Amino acid sequence: MKNISYFIIAILLLITVPTTNAELYTDGYVQGLFGGQLEGDNPTKSDQSISETRLQLRMESIGDNGEFFSRVDFFYDGLADDQEQYDWEIREAYMKFRLGDKLDFKIGRQVLTWGTGDLIFINDVFAKDYRSFFLGRDDQYLKAPQNALRMEYYNSMGAFSFVFSPSFESNRLPEGDKLSYFTPMSPDGAGGFYRGIVATGLGEQYYFNPEEPAKTFKNSEIAMRFQKQVGMYSVALYAYKGFYKSPIGVDASTMMPLFPRMQLYGASIRGAKFGGIFWLEGGYYNSKDDPDGDNPFMPNSSMSGMVGFERQVATNLTVNLQWQADKMADYDLFEAQQDGSLHYRDEIKHLITSRWTKLMVEETVMLSAFVFYSPDEEDTYFRFSTEYKYSDEITLTVGGNLFSGTHPNTDFGQLSFNDNIYTKMTYNF
Amino acid sequence: MKKLTTTLFALLLILGISSSNAAAADATELMKQSHLAYFYAGDDGLTDVNMTIVSKKGKERVREFTMIRLDIEEGGNQKYYTYFKKPSDVSRITFLVHKTSEGNDQRWIYIPSIDLVKPISADDKNSSFVGSDFSYEDISGRHWIEDNHTLKADETLDGKAVYVIESVPKEAYKGFARKLSYIDKETMLPLKEEYFSKKDKLVKKFTADKIEVVDGITTIIVRTMHNIKKGGHTTVTFDKISYNVGVKDDIFTERYLKNPPRKYIKK
Repeated sequence: MKNISYFIIAILLLITVPTTNAELYTDGYVQGLFGGQLEGDNPTKSDQSISETRLQLRMESIGDNGEFFSRVDFFYDGLADDQEQYDWEIREAYMKFRLGDKLDFKIGRQVLTWGTGDLIFINDVFAKDYRSFFLGRDDQYLKAPQNALRMEYYNSMGAFSFVFSPSFESNRLPEGDKLSYFTPMSPDGAGGFYRGIVATGLGEQYYFNPEEPAKTFKNSEIAMRFQKQVGMYSVALYAYKGFYKSPIGVDASTMMPLFPRMQLYGASIRGAKFGGIFWLEGGYYNSKDDPDGDNPFMPNSSMSGMVGFERQVATNLTVNLQWQADKMADYDLFEAQQDGSLHYRDEIKHLITSRWTKLMVEETVMLSAFVFYSPDEEDTYFRFSTEYKYSDEITLTVGGNLFSGTHPNTDFGQLSFNDNIYTKMTYNF
Repeated sequence: MKKLTTTLFALLLILGISSSNAAAADATELMKQSHLAYFYAGDDGLTDVNMTIVSKKGKERVREFTMIRLDIEEGGNQKYYTYFKKPSDVSRITFLVHKTSEGNDQRWIYIPSIDLVKPISADDKNSSFVGSDFSYEDISGRHWIEDNHTLKADETLDGKAVYVIESVPKEAYKGFARKLSYIDKETMLPLKEEYFSKKDKLVKKFTADKIEVVDGITTIIVRTMHNIKKGGHTTVTFDKISYNVGVKDDIFTERYLKNPPRKYIKK
């Protein structure tokens, strides 16, 4: 039913775009993606991490007064239950137009990105799809689409962006289906509770499906940015009103996870420096449901900062390095709430990342590695891939995702049973 | 033998010292004129580009894009906007270069599938442009002041009178140790360029394959870079060229990186 309404919206968008002299262009790809798990004891249903065939169709219509773009995926999921194997999703369906000289509009289902980090997001609180990210789907799938209106106003001072999302769009997190996750306390189906790394292989009650905020006007999301080019640097200010994009709060009555209210204020600067690109970004996460930090069911506010640098260190070899520090407010209250049976974070949580990209053989072969490492959370996530462009149409990829951690309840530690390798073949048309 | 050459060289040096400065200045001036004719034609330019990369084994890859150029200052700073059309896995990607005649260029890429604007570190101007045999510098031009130029000969190439100019980088450069340019005396366009390595081996050869007059400006329509060292070549063909269309400076900003200027780029 939900799918049908999306389809109607897409069609309406298509026909309402001013299409004087418009031409329609179509392209896309067909892709097979198959992966296997490296750990024998993952509590998921299958020892395959992924098995899917996907058709992406892109349509673009450019008229004199506006343009329309859509990206629709049709896919067959070999690991899904029988009735759900065939599915489709509108990844994007938007129209773009300009009012006067200074106002740009982009309205519809779209992917949104801003901020300076490389796979570290502080002020970019648009929806992410970590399931795709951990399973080897293309980079474009890390960004989950959302229904939104984006308005950008440009003048001599800079660029002002305003994004309104009528209903909350959450991150897509491991749900126990293809990826196991940590649960602090879940009904075990036998009247008791289970704590640990779980997945649907242990029972359907471990399908992770937290309730989202009701689709009301009050629960809409607003994100804003002001950006200005100052010499060689791009400087930006950010603000957001909405919710934490992951369900990091707990409903005290049902003990189920929920998405707490959050407001975010931040800034960033990025530019060319020391023969490469340098960036600095910070943000303050104001936890609206726990302003004093004394509610054990809600996250405390926090201040997050990041610094990064990227440069080409040799011919066709680009390396970057990032360091993020996240400081929790009212940490003493948080610490007093811990019973000590589980690992809990330090007041300042550090994350160090590095990306290595090497292009070879006239840029037809790309070797890529990315590592996340947190010294105080004691967990790591290593992703790597080799991509070979056999021709303009055909690309072959092999890659993997490796997780490890000392504690089962850290960001990457909880994924430690999900180590996987995959192979992917794409035909572009 | 070596001694003899040295003596001869010294003799030539003494004899030629009065005229060589003037000759060097002439060669530099010729190189400048050629550079302006080739890289700074008109005040701005717009063209569709087909880039066919042919490997040593004869396998072809094709890139199609639209390129918009604006000269901020004749012989100096320029801005380039590129919109990729093919192959389909890079279609709609846009690319922006602010070329500075001194210092490093600034480059940005926009990847629409993730709505990502990313600055690219650009200290290596000699790296390949989209996997082709052309380097970034071959596309947007290496400034003539970075090399010492000498007029080696006046010759005839395919029936055209040409200057043969040798260029040697003032500072060690990965792209070449020595370059010979064959410049058409009439149009000042390079008809052929030969790039030599440190060991003085021919590694790369540029040829202008087809020349036409567009909007009153003599333009190389088809050009090829032959990769002698690795084998293979890249042929670039321009189509729908127009000059002096009045491109505005604001095209070369993040706003247009995200929203291609449809006035110039349909598809």
